[in-house]
Amino acid sequence: MSNPLVDMEKPDVIFCIGTNMTECHPVAATRLKKAIAKGAKLIVADPRRIELAEMADVYLPLRVGSDVALLLGMAHVIGRECLVNRDFIEQRTEESEAFLEHVKQFTPEWAESICGVPAKDIEQAAIWYAQAERGAIYYTLGITEHICGVDNVQSLSNLALMTGNIGREGTGINPMRGQNNIQGAGDSGALPNNYPGFQPVDDPKAQAKFEKAYGRPMSPEKGITKVTALDRCGEQIRAMLICGENTLVSDPDRKHCEHAMKALDHIVVLDIFMTETAELADVVLPATAFAETDGVCVNTERRVQRLRAAVPPPGDAKPDWWILSQLGKRMGAPGFEFTSAKEVFNELCSLSPIYAGIDWDLIEHGEYHWPIPEPGHPGTPMLHEKEFPRGRGLFKLVEYRDPAETISEKFPVWLTTGRRLQAYHTRTQTGRSSGIDYLLSEESLEVNPADVEAWGLQDGGWAKLSGTKGSVNIRVKSTMRSPRGTVFCSFSFADVPVNILTGAGYDPVTQTAELKVCPVRVEAV
Amino acid sequence: MNTPSNQELIARWKDEEAPLLPLLHAFHDRDGYLSDETLRDVAQGLRLSLADLYGTVTFYHHFSRFPPGQAAPRVCDGPVCSLRGAHDLIEALRKDGATAMPCAGRCDEPIPVLEGDKVFVGLTHDSLNVKPSPLPPKNPGGTEECVFASIREPGRSTLDGYRKTGGYEGLERALKSKPEELVQLITDSGLAGRGGAGFPTGRKWKAVADAPGTPKTIVCNADEGEPGCFKDRVLMDHDPHAVIEGMILAAYGTGATRGFLYLRYEYPETEKILEKATEEAKSAGFLGEKIGGKDFTFHLSVRRGAGAYICGEETSLLNSLEGKHPFPRNRPPFPVTHGYEDLPTVVNNVETLASAAAIARKGADWYQGLGMGEHAGTKLISLSGDIRRPGNYEVPIGLPLQTLLEDWAGGAPEGRTIQAVTMAGLSGGFLAKDGLGVTLDEPSIRSKSSFLGAGGIIVYDDRRDMVEAAQVAMQFFAHESCGKCFPCRIGTQRLTERLRGDAGPRELEAWRTEVADLGRTMKSLSACGLGIAAPLITESLVRYFPEQVARHVAAAQ
Amino acid sequence: MATIENSTQTLTLTMNGTEVTFSPGETLYEVAQRHVDRDVPTLCYDERLEAFGACRLCVVEVEGIRNPVASCTTKATAGMVVKTHTDGLEAHRRTLLEMVASENREIDVDPLSGYASQEMKTLVDRYEARTGRFQGKQSGKSRPDDPNPFIKRDYDLCISCYRCVRVCAEQEGDYAISVANRGFETQITTEFGGFLKDSACTFCGQCIQTCPTGALADHKALRSKDVPGEVKKTRTICPYCGVGCSVDLMSKGDKLVGVLPAMDGPANLGALCIKGQFAYDFVQHSERLSTPLVRGDDGVLRPASWDEALDRAAQGFKDAAANHGEDSIYAIASGRAPNEAAYLTQKFIRATFGTSQVDNCSRA
Repeated sequence: MSNPLVDMEKPDVIFCIGTNMTECHPVAATRLKKAIAKGAKLIVADPRRIELAEMADVYLPLRVGSDVALLLGMAHVIGRECLVNRDFIEQRTEESEAFLEHVKQFTPEWAESICGVPAKDIEQAAIWYAQAERGAIYYTLGITEHICGVDNVQSLSNLALMTGNIGREGTGINPMRGQNNIQGAGDSGALPNNYPGFQPVDDPKAQAKFEKAYGRPMSPEKGITKVTALDRCGEQIRAMLICGENTLVSDPDRKHCEHAMKALDHIVVLDIFMTETAELADVVLPATAFAETDGVCVNTERRVQRLRAAVPPPGDAKPDWWILSQLGKRMGAPGFEFTSAKEVFNELCSLSPIYAGIDWDLIEHGEYHWPIPEPGHPGTPMLHEKEFPRGRGLFKLVEYRDPAETISEKFPVWLTTGRRLQAYHTRTQTGRSSGIDYLLSEESLEVNPADVEAWGLQDGGWAKLSGTKGSVNIRVKSTMRSPRGTVFCSFSFADVPVNILTGAGYDPVTQTAELKVCPVRVEAV
Repeated sequence: MNTPSNQELIARWKDEEAPLLPLLHAFHDRDGYLSDETLRDVAQGLRLSLADLYGTVTFYHHFSRFPPGQAAPRVCDGPVCSLRGAHDLIEALRKDGATAMPCAGRCDEPIPVLEGDKVFVGLTHDSLNVKPSPLPPKNPGGTEECVFASIREPGRSTLDGYRKTGGYEGLERALKSKPEELVQLITDSGLAGRGGAGFPTGRKWKAVADAPGTPKTIVCNADEGEPGCFKDRVLMDHDPHAVIEGMILAAYGTGATRGFLYLRYEYPETEKILEKATEEAKSAGFLGEKIGGKDFTFHLSVRRGAGAYICGEETSLLNSLEGKHPFPRNRPPFPVTHGYEDLPTVVNNVETLASAAAIARKGADWYQGLGMGEHAGTKLISLSGDIRRPGNYEVPIGLPLQTLLEDWAGGAPEGRTIQAVTMAGLSGGFLAKDGLGVTLDEPSIRSKSSFLGAGGIIVYDDRRDMVEAAQVAMQFFAHESCGKCFPCRIGTQRLTERLRGDAGPRELEAWRTEVADLGRTMKSLSACGLGIAAPLITESLVRYFPEQVARHVAAAQ
Repeated sequence: MATIENSTQTLTLTMNGTEVTFSPGETLYEVAQRHVDRDVPTLCYDERLEAFGACRLCVVEVEGIRNPVASCTTKATAGMVVKTHTDGLEAHRRTLLEMVASENREIDVDPLSGYASQEMKTLVDRYEARTGRFQGKQSGKSRPDDPNPFIKRDYDLCISCYRCVRVCAEQEGDYAISVANRGFETQITTEFGGFLKDSACTFCGQCIQTCPTGALADHKALRSKDVPGEVKKTRTICPYCGVGCSVDLMSKGDKLVGVLPAMDGPANLGALCIKGQFAYDFVQHSERLSTPLVRGDDGVLRPASWDEALDRAAQGFKDAAANHGEDSIYAIASGRAPNEAAYLTQKFIRATFGTSQVDNCSRA
């Protein structure tokens, strides 16, 4: 997030796109609701009539995967209506003239023809966002899990740049991170292109720094992404260390995943439960869980916070840091003589410029947002206040592209996937917490009532959901949340492994899978 | 005529000002009750929380959630009607689904029975008739009247009838001068709130005129819920234009552009009279845009409550208008700066506004001179109970109570003497013995630990069990307590139980201590007037009738 | 507001005879919290919510105003002379608490009921208000029939302070809880008086945490009511989404018994959702992995010692490196585990093999 969570109570115009925040980030959503209660206008773009849509002042029900068209249309309106923030553009950005010229061709009527949102609503949304004193954008995986995920984000960035809705309180471009420490995992260097603190592996200075720190030569080559690694299992990749991920269920194209895993010579899994992935491992190492672990995590607003153990772990389960240190030692590598999480974290701080100003003791109360470039620095709740990482904000000339797969005669329905309030991911945790079943005991496919009838389905009956890669059976739920021609389900339930169907394409830059769009056929069973 | 659909009704109202109450009434009128489906549709249509809407609907006595609902008779069992056999009447109508309702403001001619949008009156089930509300008797003291001066003229409720005796002349004159001059005139007259609070009207108007924020609003508080009060009803039924003129004057003086007349549910005929008068005033150019050819706009809407005494409390009334749960608001801020939709708002009683219309026509000095001695102006008194000539009287402020009771209204019925009277409807508690020597002005009555308030006086003759009278009164307060603040919610219940004899100490001293402790804390700590006033009932009961109290506690053993 | 910017002038009022400072907009309650040794009592106040003025316990005397005023809803103004603990006020408070006690079935509830559940009991004891005076009808009707496993609805203990209604609306924005009827018949309810599951309730648990009497209580935590031992609280961060809500874990001995929202948690300020509030017991689920496992020659995973499992794990990586090169080993870090896990995962790859064959799970 460019801005801290507390800023969510401050915008006067809120633009939520591709985020089902009330279910996926409910506590963050409470802050948006406070802004709304104070009179903020809410613009919601989502293919599904989610709860946020019900609260919206203008709701933009776009077709799945057509975000770029919608956002280009909005940019066109802002340019056409002379609502561009000239001062901001001149002082803080580059390539604005080319961009404003570029968007002239993308009228709201053109956008309507692609995304299906009435042109007048696109205009209204654009005008409100552009006229906002403090306009803030919030998005989640509905933006990124597309083959054009980067284009989507850049389109949002273009809107913020052209209106100057960034770098100030209550504004910004704010992705909501989906997992408790997905931010921290990247911060800590678990990335093929970056050392800890986002220091590029192909930067010789960084290379030298880590060669010194780790006491061995480092390859200046970027590693491959997880997606590529799974493609190369049994070929380049022969052994895997998988820490706490149920790759098999959460990743797209499950058959491919399973095939890949089985092609490996050696799999070591650290986890707290016997997941489908752990079942394939050669060695399974029992880790401590939440409530049993001391450590550090980083939230969606880059806030660095401490985790503390309250209860002992079961049996012989051990903290991740202990297990990985032991493993490192046994590989004969130096520098794995850690005796506490604190030592590990402090080593990370010593090597990471974004954590340079903190250590384990300083973050006791969680008041620091990184970057904290040097000791004594108060942290950085808001990014881009004076300049962008590259200096000036760069407009990108984005064009609309169709999803990897589009609906056809054979697969005439859009499937989109996501989460539900009461379940988390693959339910390894929520599924084992008592009471959750009372509210959500099984997965169902959300279908518009008119489609239920048109397709010969029954509310509460069963349907077969088929795509190019296979099919699953699922119970049908008739609901106005789904528009006609689009159906939804979550990937949380093992008995409805919907990721069998998904994942036809990946964003070329981030290699994020297109989990949000999948053409399917729905038939009564 | 086709029955309108849910969506048609919602479309009719959703873009109006203060739409919730009229929309719910539209459904209530259509179906007789508010179904789950209705509430779901209304919540969605007006973008309200369904839980809140459900809760708010259950707050009002008269919103029915199930059939037969509105169609079933509701019989007043207020303090006067219960002296007149209300409970027998309820029994007689039980087969039709009759239930009791709190005082419905026909104490001068009991017993009102509400059925659908009609009010029947009569003492027995076979004598129930629809009758217009009685005109005030001709002033027996020969003192000059203010608001009643022309009310007995035939045709007074029509625009023509009203104009015949100078109606709207005050407005026309005011429109020729500056708004500040009108406010000054009202200030000079000494007019003070006639709903009970007695706040100087001119000061209130000035505060709203000076307050930042628009649009400003005039609210006429016609939620005449105090038992034993029926004076506003007679004004609205027989002189509706005077009230409307008063509201327009208030709007002109303060710069308000919208107005609501918030009418109590139990006056359905009055609503029709007001709607008609409003239409007439609109056609005559006294309401709407460019009033009197000036750059002065004022739109007036009638809104009907749904049966909640607390909505007579001005901040509850505002919440009710806004479609919120009708709890009183915390003050400050006051409505003059943060009223309807948190914007500057005048809330004035019906009688106050009608008086303002007369003052605009006849002047400040004239009004000042109507009172006795140093007191300015007049007060309407609704007199009922054990008295020969019940009805509404306009008295000069400062008139001795005894003069009103004995000389004007003929005293107690044959062979009886007056044992006690209530003040301020029920809110002022009882006056008896030396207390009956007061004059009808606040300083005199307050010296007896009571107050004049809205001007309802209920008379109890020497037959009456005053503990029972107190219990009826306290039960009313318990029934009407909104439930927001602890001392009132619990206190009115506990006092009722002690007066009814079904809980509390069996020993007199302990009983008196509990009742006194409850009363003291309620009076000091309650959040609004209801909880502050209710213990005046027990306080005055114990003060004037210690033997009756002792007998009651002894009998409960 | 020129007065706010012009901060050279210090605002003061007199409280219990002492001149104290305040900031514009502060209420007398807030001023008293800072300056008065003894707490000003209250039952309807939750600092995260708009002051409501229902319980009237926080009343104070202000010179020039006849009746005591609720300090929570009264703004401080310069020059006010305020008294917070006169004999008269204390007597009123005791009477009020006797009144409140009289409408409830029980005063003492288990602390596992919720964060604020001891407030009523504490005040009743402080004011010695268990006198049994003011007996009569009890208010509130419980809903033991609501089968939801999270929120116990024992309205016999309800004192109609409306904190649950307000927290649901103001803090959570769900508007699921409302109030039906009026006066002594007041009943905390949901749409049409039904079960929570059929309402707009999202089971975030905020109502149980603000309830001062345990009327709305934590069903799940109360299952451990009879587990011996004191409740220990440990501050940590919720393990679900990326918002990073602070929670206080409640444990008795080695048993995790419940979760309290951390009112001072910087990301959540006391807010939680159903997952953070209630989905914690996976931690001590019987299916937790509790011993290392290695795959035997028969192809079946069997328990092993740490030494054996770690040696086996290391050996497999050594073999891969020897046979297929250092870039044949790949590691995936978790977005669920702490920084230390991610850091050591990448260090394992980088310090051992010198490659960057590592990623985390953010791409899917």
